[in-house]
Amino acid sequence: METLRNSSTTTVGSFWYQDRRRFLADASAGLSGIALAWMLQRDQVALGYSEDGPNGQTQFAPKAKRIIHIFCGGGVSHIDTFDYKRELELMDGKSLENKGENRGFFGQPGKIMKSPFPFRQYGESGAWVSDLFPNLANCVDDIAFIKSMVAKSNNHTPATFHMNSGFTLNGFPSMGSWISYGLGSINEDLPTFVVLPDPAGLPAGGSINWTAGFLPATHQGVAFRTQGTGELIEDLRTPESTSLENRKASLAFLQKMNHAYAVQNSGDSTLAARVKSYELAARMQTTIPEATDLADESEGTKAMYGMNESRSSGMGRNCLMARRLIERGVRFVQLFSGGAFGQPRNNWDAHESVVENHTKMAATLDKPVAGLLQDLKQKGMLQDTLVVWCTEFGRSPATQGIDKPGRDHHPDAFTCFLAGAGVKPGFTYGATDEVGFYAVENPVTIYDFHATILHLLGIDHKRLTFYHNGINRRLTDVHGEVVGGLLS
Amino acid sequence: MAIQIRFFAATLLVFTSVLIRNECHARAPQIDFDREVLPVLVSRCLECHNPTDFKGEVDLTKSQTLLDNPQLMAGGKASESLLWQQVEQDLMPPTHPLNASEKAILKGWIEQGGQWGMAESIDRFAYTTENRAGTDWWSFRPISRPPIPVVDANQPAKNQIDNFINDKLKANGLAMASPADRATLLRRLYIDLIGLPPTPEQLNAFLSDADPQTYAKVVDGLLESPHYGERWARHWLDVARYTESQGFEYDRFRSNAWHYRDYVVSSLNADKPYDQFIKEQIAGDVLGFAGKDSKVTSESIVGTSLLVCGPWDQAGSSQANVKQRMTTREEELEDLVSVVGQTFLGITVNCARCHAHKFDPVSQEDYFQFKACFEGVKHGERSIETAEELQARNEQSAQLRTERDQLQIVRNSIEKQAREAVLQQIGSSEKAIASVVPYARWNFEKDASDSIGDLKAELHGGAVIRNGRLILQGESQFAKTAGLKKELKEKTLEAWVVINDRQQKGGGVITVETAMGATFDSIVYGERQSGKWISGSNGFVRTRDLDAKTEDSPENSVIHVAIVYRGDNTITVYRNGTKYAEEYNAGSLAVYPVESSHVLFGLRHTGAGNGFLKAEIDSASLYDIALSDSEIEASFQAGPHGGPVIKRDELMLAMSPDVQKTFSDNGKRIEILNSQIKRLTKPNVSYVGQRQQPEPTHRLVRGDVSQPAEVVNPGALSRIAKLESDFSLSENAPEAERRLKLANWLADESNPLTARVMINRIWHYHFGRGIVETPNDFGFNGARPSHPELLDWLSNEFVRGPNPWSIKYIHRLIVTSATYQQSSSVNSEAVRVDAENSLLWRYTPRRLEGEIVRDCMLAVSGELNAAVGGPSFMPFKITSFNSDFYQPIDPIGVEYNRRTIYRAHVNSGKSAMMDALDCPDPSIKTPARRATTTPIAALALMNNSFVQRQAAKMSDRIAAIGPAREVEYAYQLCFSRLPSVDEKTEAVLFIRENGLESFCWALLNSTEFLYID
Repeated sequence: METLRNSSTTTVGSFWYQDRRRFLADASAGLSGIALAWMLQRDQVALGYSEDGPNGQTQFAPKAKRIIHIFCGGGVSHIDTFDYKRELELMDGKSLENKGENRGFFGQPGKIMKSPFPFRQYGESGAWVSDLFPNLANCVDDIAFIKSMVAKSNNHTPATFHMNSGFTLNGFPSMGSWISYGLGSINEDLPTFVVLPDPAGLPAGGSINWTAGFLPATHQGVAFRTQGTGELIEDLRTPESTSLENRKASLAFLQKMNHAYAVQNSGDSTLAARVKSYELAARMQTTIPEATDLADESEGTKAMYGMNESRSSGMGRNCLMARRLIERGVRFVQLFSGGAFGQPRNNWDAHESVVENHTKMAATLDKPVAGLLQDLKQKGMLQDTLVVWCTEFGRSPATQGIDKPGRDHHPDAFTCFLAGAGVKPGFTYGATDEVGFYAVENPVTIYDFHATILHLLGIDHKRLTFYHNGINRRLTDVHGEVVGGLLS
Repeated sequence: MAIQIRFFAATLLVFTSVLIRNECHARAPQIDFDREVLPVLVSRCLECHNPTDFKGEVDLTKSQTLLDNPQLMAGGKASESLLWQQVEQDLMPPTHPLNASEKAILKGWIEQGGQWGMAESIDRFAYTTENRAGTDWWSFRPISRPPIPVVDANQPAKNQIDNFINDKLKANGLAMASPADRATLLRRLYIDLIGLPPTPEQLNAFLSDADPQTYAKVVDGLLESPHYGERWARHWLDVARYTESQGFEYDRFRSNAWHYRDYVVSSLNADKPYDQFIKEQIAGDVLGFAGKDSKVTSESIVGTSLLVCGPWDQAGSSQANVKQRMTTREEELEDLVSVVGQTFLGITVNCARCHAHKFDPVSQEDYFQFKACFEGVKHGERSIETAEELQARNEQSAQLRTERDQLQIVRNSIEKQAREAVLQQIGSSEKAIASVVPYARWNFEKDASDSIGDLKAELHGGAVIRNGRLILQGESQFAKTAGLKKELKEKTLEAWVVINDRQQKGGGVITVETAMGATFDSIVYGERQSGKWISGSNGFVRTRDLDAKTEDSPENSVIHVAIVYRGDNTITVYRNGTKYAEEYNAGSLAVYPVESSHVLFGLRHTGAGNGFLKAEIDSASLYDIALSDSEIEASFQAGPHGGPVIKRDELMLAMSPDVQKTFSDNGKRIEILNSQIKRLTKPNVSYVGQRQQPEPTHRLVRGDVSQPAEVVNPGALSRIAKLESDFSLSENAPEAERRLKLANWLADESNPLTARVMINRIWHYHFGRGIVETPNDFGFNGARPSHPELLDWLSNEFVRGPNPWSIKYIHRLIVTSATYQQSSSVNSEAVRVDAENSLLWRYTPRRLEGEIVRDCMLAVSGELNAAVGGPSFMPFKITSFNSDFYQPIDPIGVEYNRRTIYRAHVNSGKSAMMDALDCPDPSIKTPARRATTTPIAALALMNNSFVQRQAAKMSDRIAAIGPAREVEYAYQLCFSRLPSVDEKTEAVLFIRENGLESFCWALLNSTEFLYID
């Protein structure tokens, strides 16, 4: 067993040091191997384990098998990152009047402000990237930028919910849940949908962002605790007070009882599924710690993810962990960049100062995401993995308030990117007007964005439905067109 | 007249053309408009070509359209008819062209002259079609009175329910399973009705009582148990989308929302008639809500919490952008319409906001007139007191205040005398002096050093010291000290300040804050109310707007401001030695940790964009205690730079023992009085929402706030047979009147949906599946009833039976039926015919809901705290960082061993174990729980600390029984049965090797424990 081989290696730098000791003990006690012989005989009982849903059924050939989804809370400024606007330099300090309706949150637009960051062109594709992302800039030839994104809401939480669930309200299933429901698991020994919040804190709305909504609870995102050194997942470890021999015996006793009950009530397949769920649970007790233990990653790899620098070490760890999880068969990993709203700023919500805020936030994200893309590519995984980078909305070309260095929310234009499976590499889709106010060429709604992601996974977004309170619900509500121009 | 002539002429024309056609094709069969054409138009054309959507500017609901647009019919020449061309070329309908027979009907109709039917315009909701429900939809029709089927004598029947069930089973060649054994039945009944298993004692008493009436008596007993309401209220709260936090960005905790939970529990326990239950929840705050004589009570006011107990986007509702704010409000009202429509009617009225309902006979006008009834309902807390209660409270509070003030006068005079005595002793000539030594004091003489300790401040942003004052321009100037040397909670902030720019907003004079300013308390000027002082705090959590005068002291005068933060969580602001406003309770005080906290001058908090003060600070002090009124007064008298200082114990020594006793007794009594007054001054508020008279409601084109169309009057759904939807209310009708009318409309005994929907819910919870499988959707997209006659028979019993609108009466009917009392045993022939068991040939086993799993664990471990009602227990830590964050914990204590319905049900701080057991997000309207089987749930049950603790407690409880009977007792506790010989042998062996606690752990994890069968 690989895990045992690692038991003597040093765990300095390992993410969950305390967990590791315990997990090795779990593994050596063989809890993962409790597949009881009599369980395998299956009797007359069908030990089927699946939730209602079109699990595993793609509707046409998928390009991507799995997704890493990076969501930047607060609203990343498109015109200060990837959507270079020379015109802003010429119009710096001029009025934005008559450009269009101001959909900012605070309703106090100032004058046009050029980007405080220099832009340069990179790669063969010649994509413009600001100095905020010097490392990511080297990956542009693997990326398809969408520069004509349009959001519906100008308000954080509805906009966040929209990007994550297709609806601006509480309680709708998140994209990861839909994909779990649509495609099912690749590896039953790991959760299908894992969430890695920013080590700086949970996004607003917390677990609402990865809820299964009205889909079966199986499809809920399993959020790892990426802050502090506590347990990785609640209830993953056998309690300290219980010896592992005891737990093994107790589980065997329990399984026998549950099995007998399932046989006695053979009409109900869920009773048999309960027996299997304990077997899977016991296996997860070793597979999850193994998947998230970074001890066997080289220093070079860690450095590539920015783990050797304090500002990027947290997100670097999350990105590396994401790759390990995907590698082992997790279907959907969602990373959050940025925590809660308010002051002091802890996400991309640059109301006061774009320079101060975006410099700080980009430093946490640049190397980790660049490292992730490079690593996936080196390992040949980018061919069937889709990397999604997105945010709530853009930020206004004007300042928020006169002579202030911050920018307000701007839902009418923003930039997202896709990379990997099925996506045109080194490509830019859509464009904004000369100052980045409106998406004027090939506007892409969040519904279109979702339809395209589902399409890459082999799912027709109109056919992935779930009945709830009168409506056959979809991730894309009643909207959405696949953006064919992005597909390779 | 002109119109008539024109109409006459047109009719003549049509008539002539018909004659001509008939002559040419004498044998062509005459097309019947109402029977043949109308269904095609309704199902295939009117979805777009109606007066509201008006696609292509063609409205095919009216005959007039054909007259106004002759090219449509081309006088009967099909080849020239625009209508036929569109249809023939499959251009219309756009995605699903007509089939050949539909085309033939239309063509024939056109060729025969396009004769219209009886009515001049077609109600496009009149008929159910292949694609949508019309007004003839089963659930919209009046409730029928079906005859009770006659069944064979040999079929098991205990009441009429069984006749309906047996009738259908027989028709399918099936029969009921044998009756469940009595122990199984008892466990099923207990968990179904009260959510707790029978104790071994209750089980044995039941099994040993041969009286045939025993079962009925147990049913009565359980329905009288207070646990019944706790069990069934949870079902209702699922549908009502009851939540105790806001959701969305701020997700603030609603500490006063629980009244509604208690309201539902007690209403169910009291078997409140369902019609009254409805009326209270829609209009319980309106006089006469339940008939002329009905009075508004605290209880009925709380009922209306239903309207607002869901999530609320506070950030979106308060943003500066007007259009977006209006959109947020429309979303909020859609949620309200949806909860009322689905809960009481099983109709998704909310789907008709942007266009007519795609599947059900609900027009956009219906949506907006329904919405108009709730247009004045807003989120927020309000008092739930009646006028009498309010008056009594005010009187009592005034009495206590008088007593307190008298004691305070005595105390102040004692203190004053003592101070004078001390002054004499030390020979001071000062008139008045501060009696308390500050923790730190800054006089700003030459620099910003601390004259008491060593908490020196550094100047920043261009702040300077001049003439013994800290000079601040309100732009970037401030001063900041080193870290505090002790932890602060109780404290006093004090400053002498000259503030000549009276219009400035939001500057802080003196502030204590944590490292980056995430938590702070500050003396703040003019932030929320112009010209007024407040105690500023992070996110305003400890801030209240004060009922005080705006600053009016002469220019250049030095103002003394102090804020006292007392250990009892009250905050008092003082100005020039006296109270600036009434003290208030802040809920809790902030704690400022050693070293990582510091003091600021001239800046509200670190990172505050508009927090700079424009002023001159003469001196400032920080106390690590809360000063009394007279100490504040003394400090004011002493002036900006203080006088000689006396400590509190020196003062006490100056009093005689008797006086000392009076002084301290008075102090204690004042504290007691203060806390009583505090309780009394707090109005009894609850999260029932606020009401205000709204502007007229407009229909919004596509539901968009920027496209208002005609004004819509408050009303109800217009397509329900025999129910008047027009309330005769104007667009400006009083807010209360609107809800009152709607409440009566919903609870009208001739409303066919109301009773059917509720009966189905009750049935659903008893059997795990409704007669209609979609309890929130009785429309076209929902399921059809498996037993429509039974549903109507029960609905009739509910409305017009011996106990009108009694929910408990329906429970009794159901649980005493043979249908309910069947065993769950499987019969392979029946599985082949009806695997889903929709015909009820057995009782379907099902897993307990997460809350009930937890309750049953507490019950068998003996730890259940049966206390009923009151504030929720909070198994999480709340951290506030602009928004509230909930971190789930597993606290230990009796309080936390209450039933799970008393758990604070918040949006984002969900328990991993409850989640894994399918407890839904509170914001989701959940008419039916799921029961998923996942490894994550297995992990929770295996390892969760709560489960370990209950296993340990249960093992203590069983150990007390003694080794001879412990296995039996455990089996009875968990499974309501005795173990078989084999089971006992194995258990004894297991316990010997692994201990009793492990055995209990296994039982709590077992399928048999987690299911009823």
